[in-house]
Amino acid sequence: MHVIAGNLFAISDAQGDIEADPQAPLGLFAYDTRFLSHWVLRIDGERINALSRDDLTYFETRFFLVPGAASHYVDADVSIIRHRSVHDCLHENITVLNHSSQPAEFTVRMEMASDFTDIIEVGQLRQRAVEVSADPASQRLVLRYQRDRFVRETTVRSTAPAEVDEQGMTFRIRIEPDGKWETDLHVSATMGGEDGRDLRADLQSHQQTVRTGMREDLVQWLDRAPQLVAERKGLEELYRGSLADLAALRYKPLSYRERVPIGGLPWSMGLCGRDALITCLQTMAFTPELAPATLRMLALMQGGQLDDALDEEPGKILAQLRYGETGAFSDRASALYYGAADTTPLFVVLLDEYERWSGDADLVRELRHPARMALDWIDEYGDLTGDGYLRYQRRNERDGTVNQCWKDSPDAIVDSRGRQPAFPRATCELQGYAYDAKRRGARLAREFWGDPAYADRLEREAAALKERFNRDFWMPHREYYALALDPYGEPVDALASNIGHLLWSGIVEDDRAEAVAEHLVGPRLFSGWGVRTLASGQRTYNPVGAHLGAVWPSDNALIAAGLRRYRLDAQAARIADGIFDMAQTLGGAAPEMIAGYERSLTTFPVQLATSCRPQAWSSGALLMLLGTMLGLRPTGDNLLVNPAVPEGFGRLELLDIPGRWGHSDAYARDRTTERRHRLR
Amino acid sequence: MGATAEQYLRQLDTGRRPDLPETTAGTLRLDFRDDGSTDHWYLTIADQQVRVTRSADDAELVVRADRAVFDRMARGELHPGAGLLRNELTVQGNMQLLMLLRRIFSGPVGARHPQELGRAALVGRAATTARNERS
Repeated sequence: MHVIAGNLFAISDAQGDIEADPQAPLGLFAYDTRFLSHWVLRIDGERINALSRDDLTYFETRFFLVPGAASHYVDADVSIIRHRSVHDCLHENITVLNHSSQPAEFTVRMEMASDFTDIIEVGQLRQRAVEVSADPASQRLVLRYQRDRFVRETTVRSTAPAEVDEQGMTFRIRIEPDGKWETDLHVSATMGGEDGRDLRADLQSHQQTVRTGMREDLVQWLDRAPQLVAERKGLEELYRGSLADLAALRYKPLSYRERVPIGGLPWSMGLCGRDALITCLQTMAFTPELAPATLRMLALMQGGQLDDALDEEPGKILAQLRYGETGAFSDRASALYYGAADTTPLFVVLLDEYERWSGDADLVRELRHPARMALDWIDEYGDLTGDGYLRYQRRNERDGTVNQCWKDSPDAIVDSRGRQPAFPRATCELQGYAYDAKRRGARLAREFWGDPAYADRLEREAAALKERFNRDFWMPHREYYALALDPYGEPVDALASNIGHLLWSGIVEDDRAEAVAEHLVGPRLFSGWGVRTLASGQRTYNPVGAHLGAVWPSDNALIAAGLRRYRLDAQAARIADGIFDMAQTLGGAAPEMIAGYERSLTTFPVQLATSCRPQAWSSGALLMLLGTMLGLRPTGDNLLVNPAVPEGFGRLELLDIPGRWGHSDAYARDRTTERRHRLR
Repeated sequence: MGATAEQYLRQLDTGRRPDLPETTAGTLRLDFRDDGSTDHWYLTIADQQVRVTRSADDAELVVRADRAVFDRMARGELHPGAGLLRNELTVQGNMQLLMLLRRIFSGPVGARHPQELGRAALVGRAATTARNERS
């Protein structure tokens, strides 16, 4: 059970209680730190049991409860409602109802504690000395952790009179017949700044936080997005759910005034460069406001120096931002980390794509310097061996990321026999991104930066890269592109989903696209739900391995878009169909990934425990797939609609698509209904 | 030991800094805390140039920290963002200017260019091949 407001979120059990568990990130978290690790409600010493729950919105839940275990609550004449919501702090309203005809007396107790664990340490708890001060006079309990000047503080206040001790608050109450008692508990999470004030209090970026109602904010967010009218049952709900997930997964970084997308619940509730960029690309037709905020924020955090510990270089775009204790003190991966080879070209791709949709030329001019630095980075720092390919190798060997691409698990890049190549590695999709970035950079230089010579140079470089790539990565007898090249130029021959990204970037020669597509929807890569990260039959294929066989909606959304770019509409439709079936079968937010088992074998999508849900780029993937089925593409000042809808979807309408054209509508129907229509 | 922040700022090149965005302008005041006293350094950033003066005037961003913290930042040993999270420095005002300090100060000593790693990999391979050919 969770409630989310950006990177402040609470995860509890079905009763609304929180008890620290090394297996799961239960608690109230903010800025990557757990501010409540114990939050348990008792009535007359007994635990309570949930009858039902009402998830009002992503930030608000109501629990309906009775005392005692499920076996003996039948005649309960007392019931409890916990109404929990989050925005910049956590609120919990507790209402106790006396249903009997007699006055009743109860002892209501809320147990409270915090361990101030950094979220990345939830599995390996360490003891922290937490200072507790009970302040009965003001009905307040303060929990505080300090390391040097680093201070994190939880303050719980009650509106109703309470007896406060170091383990929580007790309410001795008397309720009249058919009467009720209630209290509001406010839990605030403070990051210590100057003189004990919250450090956000001194930041301009956080002073304009007019606390507009969360509810209003969500309504407006949904209103700004296009409206979907779909014949297929459940699709409209799925669409609105994805939009709400994206609303939930926005937060305001310390240094920035607007909200940017965060990774996903619970493991990546901070800014991840790659996830944020991909999410913006996916949602361009739906929630374009995410893009300028993300671009500006990433430009602000762009690398400025060579730094081995941060894997930072001038011009490089951020991989991750962490606010937890271990990041601040570099006990583990640092607070700012740049170990990603794809974020920098994708930054340029997003800037260009956003202009194509929005017509926001001012932003392109404003961000000329960071975009130019990003383009320069590709050759100056990204080409490690001088062969013209974008590569990576970590310099922080203690806790830097081994594979600095979207498949970032340490064993993700292997050949068909399971051997790992030497470093530095050039994975294929990175070359596609670099190619795309140079082409788009050329357009920006020519149309907005008044630099045609530079545009020419970028175009020449892009053309040369495409030619070189198609010579060195293509494996003619296998008819697909190598997953990577090792430092000596030898291909890493595994069949992997990365080849789909190549279509998305446009680096594939036209006469090879169909062969690539046949692999993508062929039996080794396609599970029935979607394209596996690694094909079955490869030595290390593992259906429950995140990057060794699982199916990711975000990966599939880019692949489907790539297929349509090469007019491989039937193959694109198969992928869109599979992913929507998966999302609808599971219900709720689209998961980060599912197992790569054959669909016919399990008939139900198998979820993985380590997966995040909701996940920004998974919710975004569903939107992107919708856009791909409709074939939405800006051309000049108009929105082009060129549908290719899988059978069974029936009629599809997307109304009020925002862009440089104002608002525009897209209508489509699948071929079966088209035929039916014509027969009539 | 490298230079102190004070030496660094005194000798700061006043020429054009191509690594600073031409669209960014603003004022920063750095308050160096010593025992009982505070030294003010005032940075004016415009047109990719940084002008350093001594002044206690208001600035768009005020950064306060112990002198030793500024020294570590000037040597590139402490990223301003990490310093903020640890509360070793405090800021007031427009946070976006804080990130400029990363570029104005130097990077850490001994950091490697990524191409050094690439060259090392190729040299290592050449050496191995040569050894194998000899044996």
